[in-house]
Amino acid sequence: MRKQEEPYLTGNLTAMIDVVFQLIIFFVCAVSLQNAANDDSITLTLAPDSRAVRTKDPREIRIDVHKDGSLSIARQKMSPELLGVLLKKTVADCGNPDLVPIILRGDESALHEKVQGALDACSQAGIVKIKFAALREKGR
Amino acid sequence: MARKRYKAEHRPCELNLTAMIDVAFQLLSFFLIAIKPVDVLANLEAFRPSPERTSSSAPSVPMIKIMVLSPDSGISGYVVNDTSMTMSQVENRLRKYADTDPTQTVLIMCSQKSTHKQLIELLDRCAKYKMTNLSVVSLAGN
Repeated sequence: MRKQEEPYLTGNLTAMIDVVFQLIIFFVCAVSLQNAANDDSITLTLAPDSRAVRTKDPREIRIDVHKDGSLSIARQKMSPELLGVLLKKTVADCGNPDLVPIILRGDESALHEKVQGALDACSQAGIVKIKFAALREKGR
Repeated sequence: MARKRYKAEHRPCELNLTAMIDVAFQLLSFFLIAIKPVDVLANLEAFRPSPERTSSSAPSVPMIKIMVLSPDSGISGYVVNDTSMTMSQVENRLRKYADTDPTQTVLIMCSQKSTHKQLIELLDRCAKYKMTNLSVVSLAGN
C-alpha cells in the first residue's frame, strides 16, 4: 500500500501583512497631522551654537510671528489682544504662569515691533520665561 | 535475512517569502523617496520682564547691556555698554564676560526696527558661552 503524502508546512502571512499595513497607515497619518500644526512659511534663524531640543513638552504653546507681523497659534491667526486674553485664561486655568511653556517662533525677517506684541501679551499674562525657537541644523 | 528499515521520510519545511520580501522592498523604496529630513530645532531661553517690574524702583544690579539696533540705523547693529560693535566684536566681548562670570545678567534691548534674526543670533552667542541669565526688553525708538 502506498504511503499517504504529508502536506507541506506553510504559514499564512496575509493577516500579519494586513496588520503591518494598518500600522503603517496609522503612523503616516499621525505624523502628518502633527506636522500640519507647524507653519512651514516661517523661516527660523540658524543658531548652530545652541542646544538641540530633545524632548517636547505637551503643554507648550507655540506662538508664530510671521514675516508680515501677524500672530498665530496652530495656524489660527489672532491679534495681540486676543493672544493676551488667551494666555491669561491659560495661566488662570493652570494656576501658575511657570507651568505654561511658551515657544516663540519668529520669522527671521520679522521686525521686533511685531514680536513685541507677542512678548507683551506673555508678560501681561505673567509669563516671564520665553523660549525663542531657532534652527540648530537644517535637515540634509 | 535482515529486514531493511525505512526511515520516516521528512519533507522539508517550506515557507514562501517572495510576496513578503516584495512588499518589504516596495515599502523601503517608498520611504526612501517620501521621507523628508527633519530639521534640528533649538530653544533659546530668555526672560521678558513685565512692564510693572521694570518700572518699579528695583535695586540696580550690575549687568551687561546690549542694544540691538536696526541694520539701517547707520550703526554696526549692536551697542554693548555704550560702544557700537559688530557681531564678531560682541562675541569677543561676551567671551571675556563669560570667563569672569557666566551667571551675570545680560540685558538685551531691542529697537523697534531691529530684526528677529539679530536677536536670535545674539541669544545664540550667549548660549555658546553658557550665559544663561538673559533678559529681553524692547526700546521705544528705532
